[in-house]
Amino acid sequence: MTDPRLRVWLLVCVCTLALVVESLPALGALAVLPAVALLLHPQVGGWRLRILGLYALFAWSTAFSQALFYAEFPRTPLLRLGPVVFWREGALYGLAQSLRFMATLSAGVLLAVSTPVDRLTAGLVALRVPYGLVLMATAAVRFVPVVGREWLSIRAARARRGRPAWRRPPWALLRLELSLLLPLVARSLRRARALAESLETRGFDPLGGVTGPPLRATAAELVVGGATGLLTGGAIAARGLFWAYAAELWYHPGLRPLYAFVRGWL
Amino acid sequence: MIQLRAAGWRYPGGSRVGPVDLEVRAGELVVLTGPTGCGKSTLLRLAAGLLQRHGAGVAEGEVRVGGRDPAGLVAAERVRALGFVAQDPEDQLVGTGVTAEVAFALHAAGTPTEEVGPRVEAALARVGLAGHGGGDPAQFSGGMRQRLVIAAALAAGARALLLDEPLAQLDPQGAAEVVRVVRGLAAEGVAVLMVEHRLEHVWDHAHRLVLMDEGRVVADPLLDIAALRPLRLRPPARVDLDARLGGGPWRRRPEAPRPVPPVAAGAAVLDLAEVDLVRRDDWRLRVAAFRVGRGERVALVGANGSGKSTLLQVAAGQLPAGRRRAGRVVDVPQDPDLALFCPTVREELAYGPREAGQDPDPMVRRWARALAVDELLDRPPQALSRGQRLRVAVAAAGACGPHLLVLDEPTSGQDLGQVDRMFAGLEAELGDAALLYACHDLDVVLRHATRVVALADGRIVADGPPRDVLPRAGLPLPDLARLCLELDLPHAPTEAVAAWLERR
Repeated sequence: MTDPRLRVWLLVCVCTLALVVESLPALGALAVLPAVALLLHPQVGGWRLRILGLYALFAWSTAFSQALFYAEFPRTPLLRLGPVVFWREGALYGLAQSLRFMATLSAGVLLAVSTPVDRLTAGLVALRVPYGLVLMATAAVRFVPVVGREWLSIRAARARRGRPAWRRPPWALLRLELSLLLPLVARSLRRARALAESLETRGFDPLGGVTGPPLRATAAELVVGGATGLLTGGAIAARGLFWAYAAELWYHPGLRPLYAFVRGWL
Repeated sequence: MIQLRAAGWRYPGGSRVGPVDLEVRAGELVVLTGPTGCGKSTLLRLAAGLLQRHGAGVAEGEVRVGGRDPAGLVAAERVRALGFVAQDPEDQLVGTGVTAEVAFALHAAGTPTEEVGPRVEAALARVGLAGHGGGDPAQFSGGMRQRLVIAAALAAGARALLLDEPLAQLDPQGAAEVVRVVRGLAAEGVAVLMVEHRLEHVWDHAHRLVLMDEGRVVADPLLDIAALRPLRLRPPARVDLDARLGGGPWRRRPEAPRPVPPVAAGAAVLDLAEVDLVRRDDWRLRVAAFRVGRGERVALVGANGSGKSTLLQVAAGQLPAGRRRAGRVVDVPQDPDLALFCPTVREELAYGPREAGQDPDPMVRRWARALAVDELLDRPPQALSRGQRLRVAVAAAGACGPHLLVLDEPTSGQDLGQVDRMFAGLEAELGDAALLYACHDLDVVLRHATRVVALADGRIVADGPPRDVLPRAGLPLPDLARLCLELDLPHAPTEAVAAWLERR
């Protein structure tokens, strides 16, 4: 099984690159890799179409809203519908934002579904993340699917007691969906209280340390981790140099190929 | 070891639990019982120091665990002083695996890393889970999970154990396992204070029973079981019968058993055929045919993992498998919270009739009265006790006017009196609609089912009248059920059985 520290490290690199990179092809590659890995993971099972639908919905809605409300210059009209103008730069900006979201979400969910909670805890502890945060993260990973299942159960119970949800006006449908929050929150609070009492009497101290079994990375894992770190570090450095050049703070003629690369690919 | 002197808790609204004097010595297993809402759990959390640290209210009197105030202990001291176990094992596990779960307290207590492994093994062995260190708690039975929670609570060497209804969510087998472990821990010198109302499981094992009512201890020790009756608490049937009949004679078999009345079923409201369902872990439910007729009261019985809940899900249409023909089926899951989504009880009960285009008021009145929730109509369901929430969920399902009402463990967390009232209400309102439920409590099954279906390893192994099926279902029969079967009596509360025996 892969060293959990490498998995966490890959997630950190993907998230960092999603912030640093601005080029659409690079962001696309960054989003597609973890998304494909997530969709191919057996744990995802019957959720593949829903995940794809969620990605498509998010990409479309972000690009659409940004195209409509984009206020930066220069901008070029993509489509005119009377007084309403859709701006090309806005649509591209929205698409970039949605790709960032897809990349980080896919990588995060992939880590959560593919790493047993005990391994994830061990990895985070070994990476010296504060124990309070580790426990919060692992409890969230454990209980998010539980809450998801409960949400589906409540919807199913509601459906069996009445008409299908879609057979009502949109405002009534929205109110009905929002009403599901109440039992979910109540159930989660009860669970949180039980877990908190259990942890407190088991000596949980959010500021205290914890020791775990030692983890050993293989040579291949070290190479992958190192290469990814170099790639991420290189992207940050290149973006920083380009920013210094664009802001007219520092320029070196020997870096012109780098500036061209960043402009075209990062 | 555990001492409460004039201890109590005053809530901001003015209500109060205590003052209570109670002592549990090392090696003693004390069971604290009393009606729902009498303050047992409050007292237990006071003894654990949880209320003093986090509760809204004021602590009174003195609480000592191992000679020290539990509220003043730092984490590493607390974990060596006491262990606390609540009702639902699922909610108490962080989900980090068996070994890590037990090691949690050891790490918190600053145990050197090289000692953690052997101590985890020792803690698991103490609760009968030796060799399960690499297991997945999600695959454990309820009893195993609760024993894991106990191991995790005591791993760091705590000498006091506080348990809040640890048997409430368990089947009889799981409950027996947990009680055996708890008794063993007491024999090792651990002071155990257990809140419990399922007295039949703990009666023979407790060193002392303490009775609470309205925030006070009313009997310590409880010597006269007559004190339980006004509080609607039931001692084990054989103890009750011994007390009523002077012991002994009720165990003798009568000369001529009465014939079992045949069960007549109406037209089918549920017809399942060729059900073959395989889960990810290769567990399989195979049912060639299963039919429920109008007016039937069908109980599914079987050990944990036998397939009761899965068959109910197939019956309710939640899991598509095989061929299914059914009238209108409404179900209530084991966790009633998953069936409650309206802001008030009234709206919860009105939801189904309103969706069907009917005037909801008559149904709300009928079902609220039948399930004894008519005084709760304007309260939010989520603010009620578990037993009340369950009754609201059942009433809301019944108010939809189903042809088949499906209930998963409708007795969990309720005493027999509450269960009897619930089934009486269902009987009054269901009419010729059918009832299908999974149930661990064989007293309830014998008393209220017209037909029993026994499952084992995903297959139906027996199907027929309760008196035919229960003795060969391979499940341990409770005393009262066994007595009623042996004497061929209709199942009834112990007082009625005692009166019948006296007349004989």
